[in-house]
Amino acid sequence: MSLSSSERARYQRHLALAEIGVPGQEKLKAARVLVVGAGGLGSPAALYLAAAGCGTLGLLDCDRVELSNLQRQVLFDSAVIAKPKAEAGRERLASLNPEIRVVAHALELKAANVRAVLENYDLVIDGTDRLSTRYLINDACVLLGLPLVSAAIHRFEGQVMTYVPGRGPCYRCLFPQAADGMVANCAEAGVLGVLPGVLGTLQATEAIKLITGTGEPLVGRLLTYDALEMRFDEFRVARRPDCAVCGDNPTITEPRDPAPPPRAAAAPGVRRLSAAELEALLREGSGATTLVDVREDYEFDAGHLEGSVHIPLGELPERIGEIAPGSAPVFICRSGGRSLAACEFALRAGIASPANLDGGLQAWAREVDPELTVA
Amino acid sequence: MSCTIRIASPLRSYTAGATTLSLGGETLAEVLSALEQRCPGIRFRMIDEHDRIRPHMRLFVNNDEARELAATVRDGDTVHVICALSGG
Repeated sequence: MSLSSSERARYQRHLALAEIGVPGQEKLKAARVLVVGAGGLGSPAALYLAAAGCGTLGLLDCDRVELSNLQRQVLFDSAVIAKPKAEAGRERLASLNPEIRVVAHALELKAANVRAVLENYDLVIDGTDRLSTRYLINDACVLLGLPLVSAAIHRFEGQVMTYVPGRGPCYRCLFPQAADGMVANCAEAGVLGVLPGVLGTLQATEAIKLITGTGEPLVGRLLTYDALEMRFDEFRVARRPDCAVCGDNPTITEPRDPAPPPRAAAAPGVRRLSAAELEALLREGSGATTLVDVREDYEFDAGHLEGSVHIPLGELPERIGEIAPGSAPVFICRSGGRSLAACEFALRAGIASPANLDGGLQAWAREVDPELTVA
Repeated sequence: MSCTIRIASPLRSYTAGATTLSLGGETLAEVLSALEQRCPGIRFRMIDEHDRIRPHMRLFVNNDEARELAATVRDGDTVHVICALSGG
């Protein structure tokens, strides 16, 4: 795939690099890269890949641009608030580099569509904000033999790693299993705006290296970044022979949507309540039910159930004495993950029959009270 | 024997925000036991009831992954606690 005169002018600084040159730039032009998640990570990754001349660039996101995105999602500006991210991002990338083809995928990746979408690409960048989607992408990439550059962020900290099927571990080798809700996301925990800029540009760097065959990719090496300490660390990660998808005897042979893990993962002795069940309990119990909200201060302040005791999960060990052992408390958080950890801790601390609000206050707002503000 | 343990940010609410702590112990199990004494409740976020490392947590001694709590920790080593992150 040869370069036009305008492309030679545009990419002159790449052409001047012996490690890239005309052959490398032609490989970039021929490359098809999918960026999943047009968020904090996907924004800089897509911008730099577009600028670098990645010939076909897919941008996948089913959300619309919100004002609170603009603190870090540099692909967008105030003029595109409320527009679909995939389309607004496509327009921005096409404007940045009219020489490339940008494809907008305004959809949510599911087991039913992941193969059909990914089959059109040579490499995938994972910048999603859901663990379940991370596993779906990983599994599909392993099964399709596609390289994957994955990054994730939290507050001031980030991780990035490159997975090349057959050459090293996959995401499941690193973290065999994790459920949404076990780890606070950016909306819950906050995130330094520039943090995904660092990690997203590292992802673009890895993609360009893989496409051009330059340098040493982060295969089998987990790179972590702590912005507060301005510190990078690197860890060796080996492929797991017992990995469910890339191991010697894989049990995952097709991409699949996640089962509802929290209900299955509960320790014996923990009661599970749906939002409707808790609503009935509160109605019938005349205020006798102890509700313990384990979210952070700002989440609690934004909105909570009336009568809730507020004990952030991190303070629970030292404040467990505030909960009467026989009160059969109901633990509550945003989506049901942190409260499940609280239930298990309470059980170990001798509190009988703790209950978890499955799906958290998000489920409550969806099923019982749409007026409740859930931060 | 003393080592340094670096705590992933999602768990720093247990350490009063501290990124690192100095702890004693000759195995990962002993280091985590010492950590639990200093920061009650934190071990259960990393290790399940069967003393297995939770599948969304990884522990590294210096730069190498430790998949068993019996892993040796030497004087001056750094134990890193890494947690799966979901943010994007």
